[in-house]
Amino acid sequence: MDCTRTRQLLQAYVDHELEVSPALELEEHLRRCDACRARYHTFRQLRATVGAAIAFTPAPDALRRRIAQRLHTQEIRARPWWARRAALVAVPAVLALVAATLVLVPKSDDSLRGSPVEKIVYHINEGTDPATALRNVANHLQLTPGLKAVVVAHNKGVDFLLMGARDDDGQLFEDQVAALKARGVDFRVCGNTLSRRHIDPTRVIPEAKLVPSGVAEIGRLQTKEGYAYMRL
Amino acid sequence: MTGDVKRRRFERLILPHLDAAYDLARWLMRDGAAAQEVVQEAYLRAFRYFDSFHGDEGRAWVLAIVRNTCFSALDREPPAGRFEEFDESLHCDGPEWVPGPESAAMTHETQTFVRDAVAALPEEFRETIVLRELHGLSYREIAAVTDAPIGTVMSRLARGRGMLAKALASRAKKE
Ligand SMILES: [Zn+2]
Repeated sequence: MDCTRTRQLLQAYVDHELEVSPALELEEHLRRCDACRARYHTFRQLRATVGAAIAFTPAPDALRRRIAQRLHTQEIRARPWWARRAALVAVPAVLALVAATLVLVPKSDDSLRGSPVEKIVYHINEGTDPATALRNVANHLQLTPGLKAVVVAHNKGVDFLLMGARDDDGQLFEDQVAALKARGVDFRVCGNTLSRRHIDPTRVIPEAKLVPSGVAEIGRLQTKEGYAYMRL
Repeated sequence: MTGDVKRRRFERLILPHLDAAYDLARWLMRDGAAAQEVVQEAYLRAFRYFDSFHGDEGRAWVLAIVRNTCFSALDREPPAGRFEEFDESLHCDGPEWVPGPESAAMTHETQTFVRDAVAALPEEFRETIVLRELHGLSYREIAAVTDAPIGTVMSRLARGRGMLAKALASRAKKE
């Protein structure tokens, strides 16, 4: 093994991430080469210095008790303070499902390269059946890898994005929205609609984001960002 | 799963990682009280989505949820890691720092200095360094938690360490 290769692999070696056989070759090089050995010691010293300086803070007992208690009482749907923020502030979703999916399913980093990205803004308005609409979006995603999809809800179309809304089978829309959100679909709710219909913005599920006006948002996505329009 | 079975399984597989969850949240939120709120919310979220957890890597699974909840609370998108390449030229040089004699027995001041330097790192480097040096996660686990390819994890570690080494070097020069 030469110096260049040794330097490339040194960090992985220091982190115990190197396979046995390159590790043995690297050690052999370190025995012979003063310069690389000096680098190795610097690396180790840095790790030791950082490791000794930063300390692990265990969770307070009160927090542990609170969580255990909430699990017992199944009080798991209350909203945290940052989701109760004032109206018309964008509330990005907690991507719990993304986390779940990505930990379990290895993803391809290159799958999106090389082909132009299809961008679609779906309009959910009065008269749209949200369950069908979500199914259509899911099918479209399935067929078009890399699809950039934004769902804009407006008028009566916002109702399925409110906390506790369920489809005809009794399934929470929030869970379906979270699943699509995990696959990269953005949900935006018309703020004008909410104020006209006197709907408290904190009732909107955290997966959806508030925009001042649904119509303006659709226009902006089409003219400024090159989205195609689709009414569902 | 019935509610009780689910809860007991959750208590066995996910609750033991509460310390790690809280510590990571403290580093990301830079505030103990906010970290408590975030961890509580993340744990309740994790419980809601627990049916979708099919594995034995409970720690990486719940830390990913904690991390996303932190960025949600900070009103920011998590740092994306998808298209960053593993840049070998960054790895070739290693940290530019020559440890001084004091590092054998580290002074209290050095400890504070290093801790502040870690806390001041941009968040993608901060979380990667903390998960590696404090929580002892493997590259693969860090990749899962931070939703980044392993190559990105390695360059973030190298760059983060480079920044810390630089900070230590410039401090050593001043003394
Ligand atoms: Zn060498």
